[in-house]
Amino acid sequence: MIYKVISKPEFISFIDAIVKANNAYGPRQVDTGRRGEPIYQFMPVTSAGEIAFDYTATHSSAKHLFLPFRDELSKFSFTDGNWEQEVRYDAPPIVLIGLRPCDINAVNILDDVMLRGPYPSPYYLARRRNTFIIGMDHLPLADCFCKSMNRHTVNHGFNLFCSDIGDRYYLSINSANAFGFLKEFRLEEPSYEDNCNLIERRKMIKHSFTTNIEVTGLPVFLDIEFDSPIWQKWGDKCLSCGSCAMVCPTCYCYSVEERFDIDLKGSTRQNHLYSCNLVDFAQVAGGHNFRPKNGDRLKYRYYHHYRGFAANDNQQICVGCNRCGRACLAGINPKDVINDLRLERESCMTCVSTSPDRT
Amino acid sequence: MHDLRFNIPGQDLNLEPFALRAPDFQKKCEVMITDRGYKCRITNIVPLSGQERLFLLRIVDPLERELFNFRPGQFLMLEVPGYGEAPISISSSTSNHEFIELCIRRAGHVTSALFEAKQGAIVSIRGPFGTAFPMEQMKGRNVLMVAGGLGIAPMRAPLFWIGNHRDWYRDVRLLYGAKEPSQLLFSYQFEEWQKVSNVKLHTIVENPDGSWRGRSGMITTLFDEFTFDPEETWAIVCGPPAMFKFVCNYLDLKGIPMNRMFVSLERRMHCGMGKCCRCMVGSTFTCLDGPVFDYWSVMNLKEAI
Amino acid sequence: MNHLGFELQPLKIASFDFTCCEGCQLQLANRESTLPEFLALVDIRNFREISSERHDDYDIALVEGSITRSDEIERLKTIRARAKMLVAFGTCACFGGVNSLKNRMPQEAVIREVYDGKAIETMPSMRIGDIVEVDYGIPGCPVSKEEVERIVVSLVSRSPVTLPTYPVCVECKQRLNTCLFDLGEICLGPVTRAGCDAVCPTGNTACLGCRGPAEEINFPAFAQLVRDKELSMADMREKLAFYNGFGDYLEEET
Repeated sequence: MIYKVISKPEFISFIDAIVKANNAYGPRQVDTGRRGEPIYQFMPVTSAGEIAFDYTATHSSAKHLFLPFRDELSKFSFTDGNWEQEVRYDAPPIVLIGLRPCDINAVNILDDVMLRGPYPSPYYLARRRNTFIIGMDHLPLADCFCKSMNRHTVNHGFNLFCSDIGDRYYLSINSANAFGFLKEFRLEEPSYEDNCNLIERRKMIKHSFTTNIEVTGLPVFLDIEFDSPIWQKWGDKCLSCGSCAMVCPTCYCYSVEERFDIDLKGSTRQNHLYSCNLVDFAQVAGGHNFRPKNGDRLKYRYYHHYRGFAANDNQQICVGCNRCGRACLAGINPKDVINDLRLERESCMTCVSTSPDRT
Repeated sequence: MHDLRFNIPGQDLNLEPFALRAPDFQKKCEVMITDRGYKCRITNIVPLSGQERLFLLRIVDPLERELFNFRPGQFLMLEVPGYGEAPISISSSTSNHEFIELCIRRAGHVTSALFEAKQGAIVSIRGPFGTAFPMEQMKGRNVLMVAGGLGIAPMRAPLFWIGNHRDWYRDVRLLYGAKEPSQLLFSYQFEEWQKVSNVKLHTIVENPDGSWRGRSGMITTLFDEFTFDPEETWAIVCGPPAMFKFVCNYLDLKGIPMNRMFVSLERRMHCGMGKCCRCMVGSTFTCLDGPVFDYWSVMNLKEAI
Repeated sequence: MNHLGFELQPLKIASFDFTCCEGCQLQLANRESTLPEFLALVDIRNFREISSERHDDYDIALVEGSITRSDEIERLKTIRARAKMLVAFGTCACFGGVNSLKNRMPQEAVIREVYDGKAIETMPSMRIGDIVEVDYGIPGCPVSKEEVERIVVSLVSRSPVTLPTYPVCVECKQRLNTCLFDLGEICLGPVTRAGCDAVCPTGNTACLGCRGPAEEINFPAFAQLVRDKELSMADMREKLAFYNGFGDYLEEET
């Protein structure tokens, strides 16, 4: 890592140059909400002017640029009594501007899931390697809880990271490519004051969180509370619409489908991003559904996020961006569900002498 | 001004930094990592019952045929081009490099398409995937095998294994139950298992018909026909969850430690590689950490049974 | 396609319309880029809009529209008797569709309003499934040609015919749309069956549920959501009633 500082106008011209030379995505305001609040999404950008550098948070994550909602895995072409299979995983290079630390942490988690273990995914790898990530810090929103998940800072997984220190950006340059591109622009060595400003900025961010969730020991809680009535309570609210999983930066469960081409001369195997909240996620060929109730499926998503899966070193994959909470029409959000779970357990602890068995 | 584009063509990716599981993975990297399977010809189709058939597959490419190795209990993803993939447990002998045998029930749309396919059809397999029965660890012990219904399909690979390594094991017993006599699959092999492999076979059906002269009832009633030394016995149990729960609980009562009983779980699978999360049981992947689990682990998996 | 040792045959297909705008049938001739391939999958035995030939030997009958006259009932029963498989084609056939709006008024008032009091026979709009047995339903106002292509390919290849089980929200989120509830509107996306690629919300128009309810929807939670957002329950009911696909839930509600 190399540290430099850059003036804001110079930074804009750098971004403008890189955006114009590449396929780039950045935060843009796409709508204005009911209360006049701007709504942002990561969208294609063609100049620095289109990027909302002061954006708060995007509604949807940038996950689909690494794991498209629909992705072709392979193609079969049928010839006389035989077939050939074609597998392609080339990805056009893109530049991704404005990812928050939690978003970059989410990509690092996806790296673990998709690239570690015995079967690394070449489709993901191709996209990941061909994505140039420029991160930017921000002051947390009222419902951000990435600090609770310890995902509010990031030190790898990006090419360039920019911290706002007033009239300048403090740059953490983390790749030879990034360093090479920046050679064309006026950079300065960070002064003593710049370093102080960076530390002050970090402190301020750290102390600005208003939402905190206690997640220590949560894996054990979740195991103990597997049959807790709170899952039914929240399940009764759940619309099973899958919105949470679609906007989540780390939800990656998918389904694979194969379809004949319309001319019947071939077929395509695709994966579709799916959600474990959708009604038939755990339905098997005979029709049996292992998770028939809304609550079962909601619980499963919380399990995946806050307990972690064995193959993934049992790590919690939630980064605390609360996109699911904002997108959920039924008002289900991690903070309330987890607090409810803890409350449930704690009230149980207090009555343990009289009634150890809850009904 | 430099050209700021990065041109790293996707196809030239260097896949080396990742830990590879098996020594032959280098070759498999190209074959499997990319969702590409081994092309197979269906050389024979043997009807077993109204619903089940045995498919004999031969890998077309001689090199791939040589490379394809599996352990008893593992499964593969069978691709019927045009229709999709389904996880199928391998039903043949690990020493048989010529043919792969798959015992398949017509259940979903992939298997339905396979049942329409004719001899000579060309399909594809990816794998093998998943865990296996610990046949080496059972060396020198008694092996008690309990199969219910289609549970005989994953049981055949360990049966063949035992036949090939018969001197490794002491008493080997197979308890095999089905709903009806016609659903006792592979009855043509019963004599071979008993005489050649020296496996003591006990069969039972739930609903006997006029021709059935054996016992009828639940599979657990067969336990009154013999005794076993729980200290020296390892168990393999395959069948519907309700069955293996009963059987394993019985064996637990009799004193076989839960970590010496092995069961094979079935779930919906889409990738076979621990990615899609369709086969999750609690926090465990059936495709990576299973399908073979010891009963202790299954007991600890939420929603397994 | 003979790598599996069998050939696939085109479907002997016939298309019929009842009370409707015939827009769903027109969809069959849409998507020109794949039209030749699509037509190769079907052997059209009877289809008034594109061919003058009439044959009664068809395997699959696509039936568009709802039933609003007594003679339609007889005609539909004949079609059912001839077809091996009957497909309710489009929202009117599946749920009654917009035609059902007239069911709320006295029929005399309807005739007076529309036909200026001429002697016209009409009765409350009924679904195809109210009269005869339906094998499959392809909902949509109009049906999506892409989905029709997929289903025809499934039928030709003897694969199961499936519709998405999940609601429109999944597809809407995949298109990075802003949720219409966030813009202060009631959208039926959370309870309506997907498969349309969220075409209406993408065009900033609320979903009116033309594809009917998704599987096992949580209707009480949806009604609660409308209340929580302080939106009009009357507006919600109006939208739910528009295509007549949510009748069961509306009764439950009141």
